[in-house]
Order: sequence, then C-alpha cells, then structure tokens
Amino acid sequence: MKLRIDLKSDTPVYRQIVDGLRILLVNGELKTGDQLPPVRRLALDLGVHFNTVAEAYRTLAEEGWLEIGRRNGARVVARALPTKADPQTEASFQRRLRELAAEVQARGFSRDRIARELRQLAENLERR
Amino acid sequence: MSVSVVWIVPVLVLVAGLQHLVPQLTRPGLFFAVTVSPEFRASSEGRGILLRYRLFVWASTLIAIGAALAGLAWLAILLPMVGYLWGFLHARHTVLAYAAAYDQVVEVELDAPPEGLPGGPIVALLPIAALAALGGWAAFNLDRLPARMAVHWGLSGPDAWVTTTSATVFGFLAVYATLCLLLAGVAWGLLHGSRRIATTGRAAAGERLFRRRLMQLMIIMEYLLVCPAVLGLLLPAAPGMTIWGLALTAVIVVFAILMFRSGQGGTRAAANGGTAAVGDRTPDACWKLGMFYVNPADPSILVEKRFGIGYTVNLGNCWSWAALGAVLVPAALGLIFLRQ
Repeated sequence: MKLRIDLKSDTPVYRQIVDGLRILLVNGELKTGDQLPPVRRLALDLGVHFNTVAEAYRTLAEEGWLEIGRRNGARVVARALPTKADPQTEASFQRRLRELAAEVQARGFSRDRIARELRQLAENLERR
Repeated sequence: MSVSVVWIVPVLVLVAGLQHLVPQLTRPGLFFAVTVSPEFRASSEGRGILLRYRLFVWASTLIAIGAALAGLAWLAILLPMVGYLWGFLHARHTVLAYAAAYDQVVEVELDAPPEGLPGGPIVALLPIAALAALGGWAAFNLDRLPARMAVHWGLSGPDAWVTTTSATVFGFLAVYATLCLLLAGVAWGLLHGSRRIATTGRAAAGERLFRRRLMQLMIIMEYLLVCPAVLGLLLPAAPGMTIWGLALTAVIVVFAILMFRSGQGGTRAAANGGTAAVGDRTPDACWKLGMFYVNPADPSILVEKRFGIGYTVNLGNCWSWAALGAVLVPAALGLIFLRQ
C-alpha cells in the first residue's frame, strides 16, 4: 500500500497526500481501524514539512475518513458514503473532469487515449 | 625504529585501504557525493575518476610513511588527511560535470514494519542511569574514594591522573554521561529523525538491517563507556582497561566489517536482489563540499553520508543545533571541571 508524490508537480504536496490517501480509502485498500504512519514519520520519509502532512491528515479527518490520535497518529474510521451527491458536487465533478480532459489533451494526450482511460476507470468502478 | 613509527605505518596503510574502498560503499546513484546515473561509476569516465582519487590516496600515504620514517610524526598524520581531502574534492569537482537530475518522485510504503530501539529505551538509558547512580553514591562517599583518579590510559596503564575532589569526580562522570547521552541520542535520531530512502522490498530490508546494526553499535558503545568511568573512579590501578581496550576494538572491528559488507544504507545487500538505485533523495545543492548537509526544508536531523559509512547532521535544521548544543555544552563543562 503505497503513497506516491511528485515534488516537482504543480499540485501542492498537501493536495497530493490528500488525493493519494483518499484513493486508498475509497478503494478500500485502507480499511476501518488501519493505522496511518505518525505525521512525523511520514513527513520524514517524504522529505516534507510536518505541517504539510498534518494538514493533509486534518483535511481527511474533516471529511470523516480519519481520527487523529494524541501522538499525531491517525486511524481510519468507519465512514458511510452518502447515497446521493448534492447538486453542487455533481456540477463540480463534471467541471473538473472536463478541465482535466482539456488539460491532458493540451499536453498531448489523444482523444482516443483519454476515452480509453475513462472507460477503464468506469469499468473498474462498476466491478467494485 | 621508534615506537611511534611501528604503529603509525600500519595505521596509515589501514586508513589508506579504507579510503581506497569508500567510493564503492556509497549508494549506486551517488559518486563522490554527487547524484549520478547508477551506471556512471562503471563507465570509462567513472573508472578514470576513481583511479585518480586512489592515486591521490596512495601517493599521500607513501609520502606520509616517508615522513614517519624520517621521524616527522605530525607530518605523517597531517599529510594523508590533506591528501584524502584533496583527492575527494578533486574527484567531486570532476563528477559534478556528469551530475544527473535529482529524482523528486517519492514513494512511501504506508504499512512498512515498525522499527524500535534494540532492547527498548530502557536498555539505551540504563548506562546513563548507572553513571547518575554512581555520581549520587560518590556525593555521599567522597572520603572513601582513592585520593586520585585515572583520567587517561596508555598501552602500559593509566598515564594521566587528577586529585579526587567533588569537582573532578562530577566533571569526570559528566563527560562519560554526556558521551552516553550522545550515543543514545544518535540511536534515537536514527530511528525518529532520519529519512528512510526505501520503504519497500529488499532495499528497505537491507536499509532497516543497516540502521539496526548502527543502533546496536551505539548502545553497546554506551555500555562500554561505563567501564572506564567506574574503573577510573573506583579502581584506578586495576588492569581491567587492557581487556576493555580489546573489547572496544573487537566491537568496532566487527561492526565496521558488517557495515562495509552491506554498504551505505544496506544497498549492497539490496543490489544483489536487483533493486534499482534511487540515490538518497537529497538535493546536490544542499551538500556543501559534499560533506556538510544544510537543508532547512528537510525535516530530517540525521541523513546518510554521501561519502563514507554512517550518518551526518542536517545543519540546516534548528533541532540539530539544539541537540549538538545539549551534548557539547555539558561535555565542555565536564572537561573544564576536570582541568580545575
């Protein structure tokens, strides 16, 4: 179970940590009761400031995924997924998807390639 | 032939042999403290740079042996140090032209096995507690101690003494307690203040073992340090220091062999498993002269050395300075008390 970040990326490290952990949480690779590395340990291994990791853990705790312990450790807690997303989330999802498709197309991805990746993602989601 | 020449010449040859080997013990992605592609050291340029460095090492050693035979002991000690440093800096300057881009993609295993101090924190703190207890006992029994204490030992026994007073006793014990604290602090720093370069697979297992061996060495050295404190204070004329000296040498030799066999961070063991080199994930620009690491953005207190075996301090981290001060100030005060 790996967390991967790119220090050269335009996306802030804090956001990469949140996104990476959220993928593991949504996919069920991180299960209820699993312990995440302490803030200090993860920050050292990633080579980033402690506050960056602490902020990422706090964001996921606010979303209801984590419970932050006394010694900066974090534990995955049970979180019921909402049965229906609110209209604002739906609109945001569609906008971000279109923005991402446009961005990668501008960087040289073909339309076929983007469609293939989206189909693959859809198939994976349907299988779960 | 004087006694000093008898021991200086073998030591010079031994140290030169170690310097000869050091470039091969660093991580494959590093060469003379510069990030390079893992294949660089096997290239013709890489081999040429290594050959020139070794020529520096052996030429300065031969000149130093000549100086030792001529009776210039200080020159014999100083010359190789200058030669090794010059050889390293020259090699590093050449390698900089072949520096590779620093890989900034980091992957961390979230369920990597937890690591702890060998034997737990109590084992690491016990020698310090023993020295504190000895100090407490000495405070109430100063009149029962020998009239003078041994503070230095040569090959033929104690060769430096001080009169036993409360200042010298506590100064003496403070020096040893501080050294033990330093060793325990380094072991703790390796565990909680250093970055793991690899967290998955054989590379991570090799690195874990290397770190554990270093922590074991620190803790064993702590226990060995208690002996001269006890002997110097209570039994200054006892012959136990010879056995202590042999035990200390044996421990250092055994651990040095283990470290040399595994390579920096256990990379040699990992390389046998076919793991690709990943460098040490520190920016080249933060290594001053290839020896001093100064990176305020890095939360690590200790980082792997880029040239040699072991770890060095991140001088850009304020906690590193605080830790150095916490160790050096009591040691300096202890030495001042001893001199009085």
